[in-house]
Amino acid sequence: MSRISRRGFLGGALAGIASAHLSEAHGADEGSEGSGGSGGSGGSGGNEAAPPPAGGIEGAAQVRLSFSCNGADHVQEIGADDVALQVIRRGVGLTGAKLGCGAGTCGACTVLVDGEPHVTCLLPATALEGRQVTTIEGLSDSAEPADLHPIQRAFLAADALQCGYCTPGFVVEAVAFYDRWRAEHGSEEPDRDTIAAALAGHLCRCGAYQAIYAAVAAACRGDHDSAEVTYARIDGPEKVTGAAKYTVDVALEGMLEAKILRSPIAHGILHGLDDSAAAAMEGVIAIHRLVPNGHRVRFAGQEIAAVAAIDEATAIAALAAITLDLEELPAVITVEEARSPSAPVLYPDRRARREVLSASEGPLLSASWEGNVRGPFSSSILAKPRRGRKDLENAAINGTVSSGTWETQVLCHSALEPHAAVARFTGGALEVWASTQSCHDLAEDLVHRFGLERDQVVVRCPYVGGAFGAKVGLQMETLVAVELARLAGAPVRVALSREEELTTGGLRPGQIIELAVGMSVNGSLMGVSHQAINDSGVAVGNVTGMLTRLLYDSGAKDLDDFDVVTNTPPGKPFRGPGGPPAYLALEGAIDQLAHDAGEDPIALRRRWDPNVPRNAIYDWIEGLEVYQDRGEVGADKGRYRRGVGLAAGGWFHFWDPGAQLELEAGPSGFVARTASQDMGNGTRSMIAAAVAGRLGIAPAEIQVELGDSRAIYGPMSAGSRTTSSLAPAAEDAADQLIEAMVELAASRGIAGEAAPGGVRRSDGTVVPWLEVLDGAAPLRTSGRRRRDSQAAVLPVPIAHVKIGRTWPGVVNLSEIEIDTRLGRVTVREAWVGVGVGRIVCPPVARSQMEGATVQGISYALYEDRRLDGGTGHLLTHSLDDYRIAGIGDVPPIHVHFAEVGFEHVRGGAVGIGEIGIVAVPASIANAVFHATGWRPHRLPLTPSAMLEGLS
Amino acid sequence: MIRFPTTIEAAAASEGRLRAGGTDELDLRHRRITSGPVVDLRDLAGLDRIETIEAGGLRIGAMVPLAVLATDQRIRGGWPGLAGAAGGLATPQIRARATLGGSLLQQVRCWYYRSVHFDCLKKGGGACFARGGDHVFHSALDTGPCIAAHPSTMACALWAFDAGIEIGGDLEALRTIPELLGDGSDPRETHALQPGEVLTAIHLPAPTAGDRSAYFRTIHRARAEWPLVESTVRVHTDEAGVMTGLALAVGGVANRPLRYDDAARALIGLRPDDPKVDAVFAALGKPTEELPGSAYKARLIPPTLRETLDLALAAPPAEPLIETAPEGEEAP
Ligand SMILES: Cc1cc2nc3c(=O)[nH]c(=O)nc-3n(C[C@H](O)[C@H](O)[C@H](O)COP(=O)(O)OP(=O)(O)OC[C@H]3O[C@@H](n4cnc5c(N)ncnc54)[C@H](O)[C@@H]3O)c2cc1C
Ligand code: SF4
Ligand code: FES
Ligand code: FES
Repeated sequence: MSRISRRGFLGGALAGIASAHLSEAHGADEGSEGSGGSGGSGGSGGNEAAPPPAGGIEGAAQVRLSFSCNGADHVQEIGADDVALQVIRRGVGLTGAKLGCGAGTCGACTVLVDGEPHVTCLLPATALEGRQVTTIEGLSDSAEPADLHPIQRAFLAADALQCGYCTPGFVVEAVAFYDRWRAEHGSEEPDRDTIAAALAGHLCRCGAYQAIYAAVAAACRGDHDSAEVTYARIDGPEKVTGAAKYTVDVALEGMLEAKILRSPIAHGILHGLDDSAAAAMEGVIAIHRLVPNGHRVRFAGQEIAAVAAIDEATAIAALAAITLDLEELPAVITVEEARSPSAPVLYPDRRARREVLSASEGPLLSASWEGNVRGPFSSSILAKPRRGRKDLENAAINGTVSSGTWETQVLCHSALEPHAAVARFTGGALEVWASTQSCHDLAEDLVHRFGLERDQVVVRCPYVGGAFGAKVGLQMETLVAVELARLAGAPVRVALSREEELTTGGLRPGQIIELAVGMSVNGSLMGVSHQAINDSGVAVGNVTGMLTRLLYDSGAKDLDDFDVVTNTPPGKPFRGPGGPPAYLALEGAIDQLAHDAGEDPIALRRRWDPNVPRNAIYDWIEGLEVYQDRGEVGADKGRYRRGVGLAAGGWFHFWDPGAQLELEAGPSGFVARTASQDMGNGTRSMIAAAVAGRLGIAPAEIQVELGDSRAIYGPMSAGSRTTSSLAPAAEDAADQLIEAMVELAASRGIAGEAAPGGVRRSDGTVVPWLEVLDGAAPLRTSGRRRRDSQAAVLPVPIAHVKIGRTWPGVVNLSEIEIDTRLGRVTVREAWVGVGVGRIVCPPVARSQMEGATVQGISYALYEDRRLDGGTGHLLTHSLDDYRIAGIGDVPPIHVHFAEVGFEHVRGGAVGIGEIGIVAVPASIANAVFHATGWRPHRLPLTPSAMLEGLS
Repeated sequence: MIRFPTTIEAAAASEGRLRAGGTDELDLRHRRITSGPVVDLRDLAGLDRIETIEAGGLRIGAMVPLAVLATDQRIRGGWPGLAGAAGGLATPQIRARATLGGSLLQQVRCWYYRSVHFDCLKKGGGACFARGGDHVFHSALDTGPCIAAHPSTMACALWAFDAGIEIGGDLEALRTIPELLGDGSDPRETHALQPGEVLTAIHLPAPTAGDRSAYFRTIHRARAEWPLVESTVRVHTDEAGVMTGLALAVGGVANRPLRYDDAARALIGLRPDDPKVDAVFAALGKPTEELPGSAYKARLIPPTLRETLDLALAAPPAEPLIETAPEGEEAP
């Protein structure tokens, strides 16, 4: 427990993790020759006397680069380590090509160099000399369908995108492939494998792969040779042309770049911080401390201070110049270590526990602590826990019990757009651009945090490059940007590097769940026990038992969750929090029960499952050939073994009763507005579909403005509440507007009644709405989700949401193949039936389900956040080693909507965001059992795990 | 500081880090593992060619991109295992940029090495963190102090073809792959090329008519993933289907690529479907107790070899560039 100065260590260490290295700043340091390649703004006009290109071995600190980009010639001065991406984004000012991973893995930065796709994050800027660069912006003259490349039209038509952050890279690559393919094959359709091979250098975290396959195949077939295209995703044109501006694309006059100093140790007390050397550095404008002296640092990577400087390289250099006086304490990295009696205690007292972070989507409920263990938190209130235990005891004697311990790994959200924020003060007013899934609430948080008036704060997030639960509320990068902007008196940007993103950007907690399910001799459910240990790092409050409670209502249940805190980064809610591990255990145990009883797994579930949508889905699955012909467990004996697995899942029905939507109608069209956001989940398109549906016009005629906190109150996008709250609000606003337009028509001598598209006169002709509105003052209505007859779980909303008493349902069916020689599990085909009531915008809902299936496959098979056991440092710090599903891993996915069970709900629709992922890993694990007779109890199913399991 | 030498001599004389495609070098610099002046090989002429050399061999310039290697008709015809290796690694965009020379001389992918937080043996520090730590993607065989798997797919494949490495344009003193890479006893070295040496080309000896070869990698996902185990197999069979020549190169499992010449010799005279073949392969799959986390990779060696051998046998025989006298190939 020595007191150490971490000076030398910090120098290298912190600079590294901070190094987003190739975002917007110029020139990293030039090493021993120390020519400090920063400064020099370049740009197409920067042709003042640059050093001549060094022809022989004479060196130069900066060289002049001439190249053409989208047909225009550019000259820039560049340094040795500059990469093409920064030359394009900063120098040329085109932000379509994105920084995703910075390491050649994700493909978001892909552009064409002399017609050939290259990743520009690893392309030396010098390589552009004399070359022709084509970026996404160069593929079309406008976003008009007729101007688009057939591939762009195909992406629109197939809805081959969600958040759109990966889209420029995919489109550019697909264009190169398409041009080659058409030249050689005419309009022959390439097969899946050919498409996967061509697009293997791209990752889509939203999981839009299925539609990407479809888009590329359709374009190659010639389906998009004509200039027409219809599409549901109304912000699609901006996304396929690179016009959509994300937070990372914001560039303001005089903007500074900020970097965060992070703890190099997993556990310790901060006794001092000396930033005098950093503060004295040229170009360093402001330094903000995030934790005071005496603060206990609890994980490697924890934020300690932040520096704003004129560019990123300077900010990174400044971090290295800050010294920390840290007293190192013994750390606990694993749950096992944390539970040992001799383990150091992370939160020793009440005061310390006030610092604890929440890993939960809702408010943190209180629970008791013992050492590093917190809980239990019971999900079994009114679920008769004692009887549940008793039932299980009886079932053990007089029936069957299926039990086991299941373990799931920690995952990284790793949205392709990192956490990013830009803050600017003008007078007392604060503007923030943030990659957030809670535009309105973030503004409120900022008001409270910084003591501002509501009308002094605006949060903007027109486009958000994925979130998945990790971008709710006031996140560190926004806090840092605002603090530094205030100190510096200048706009400040913070964008996490991929390594930072994977370290603290968002983690799905790991679990160890002990679960038992009992069945009586007559086949009824006899008790469920679910004891979970959650590893959310330094955070607490993740709950899995509640998810088990959602299924099979008839049984008495004993459901407890414990948190075990470790010296590792905090967990955050991740799409369907608690669902995948809970259902891996529950549905695994039930699959085993059915197997042991020799019963059909659906027949057994039907007996216990009163859920209306799920029962409708069971009908659908029973009709599937793949289910009927699935065969016996372990039927294949050879190298390749096929298996079919099924798992059910549930989610909550949340809605935000305060959600509102404003609709404006004027001669130039219809605008819908609410302070909500679209992170790729399709909020915009869903609203357009809802409004257009009522007005009887095309969704593309509705302009939807999201991502501005000044608009009327809109919900955050978390907990699957967006559609359930906003679809009814949009329809309410539309209904009011129709009334107003009919009145307006009457006042202008157009008597008639509302009809699809306009006002129908008595002679049957319809006067279109826009004609009705022509020349009149704009009409404005505001809609909200009106009450309905259903009972909520609680009469008042908690944390903005009400909880319905009827729950949506899902059933996943996975067909897999195991190569027992090489230990590989491949999902061959996937089916998902989902019941979330009425589907407001089918293509977008389908895309949500497909994306969730992809993430579920990725969860079950590939993803695994790994830390060094000694130091707690992240090992899977790149997307090479943090492995997420690529296009080749994605099978055909069949989505079925069971639109029943929510007729009593206002609008008839509940949310779809989370439910798609919750049962996917369980269905794959059950398929492994079906294929081999071996039931996996731990994820991910790597070759290592499979070889061991099958041996 | 940056220089653009136009001749091999100038490149060799330039102080600093050589940069070809830059796909590895830039990552190392971003992570502050390397620094200092850059010697950009962009303007170096003549190293981007593939030319036929005497007796039906090929000379492939160090600056030839891997994508070109993967699609070149001569290479696909005569050395399909090599084309397969070049086309099977990384991603299409990386292959379009990465050069043959750079691919041989790239650094390890060890996650400790590429993290700023660990000053390991390879960086001149005092310990290998992977050895006692998390080494699931590292070596399965303990062949030296640094247990990072050797990263070069091409080195492994080229070894199966007994390629010669040309340094500094010297056409005479070609080095072998083991000479290029060194023996791995010095953990700081991932290859044994000295400062001031420029790799200029590789020389592929002509294939014998009837040679077959293939490359295969065992990975977890479908594509674009670093191999758990990879191998290149070159095989020659007689009319009766008996193996008369065999080279087995395996990567991903040790701190240098491996060539199993003893095993290959033991298989000469057998038909590929002889059960003894799998028995010989199985003996190669013994994990080391020292490295439990990567033991599974050792177990993957036999099936990976089997897969590659089967692919090679199913591949069309080599089409030599010029007629060579048919001769029974020696066991390599
Ligand atoms: C996502 C991804 C996946 C990958 N997967 C694989 C894989 O599966 N298998 C695999 O083998 N590789 C893989 N790679 C690595 C890739 O092959 C290398 O980055 C690439 O081959 C390096 O070539 P380069 O021309 O860009 O080399 P550079 O980065 O320019 O140089 C690499 C090193 O070689 C030296 N060097 C280069 N040329 C010469 C020369 N002519 N003479 C002397 N020294 C020279 C440089 O000084 C430097 O030290 C992957 C890379 C990425 C980004
Ligand atoms: S395996 Fe090699 S590179 Fe990795 S920590 Fe050990 S010495 Fe360093
Ligand atoms: S940002 Fe270049 S490949 Fe990911
Ligand atoms: S749409 Fe591909 S990453 Fe979001």
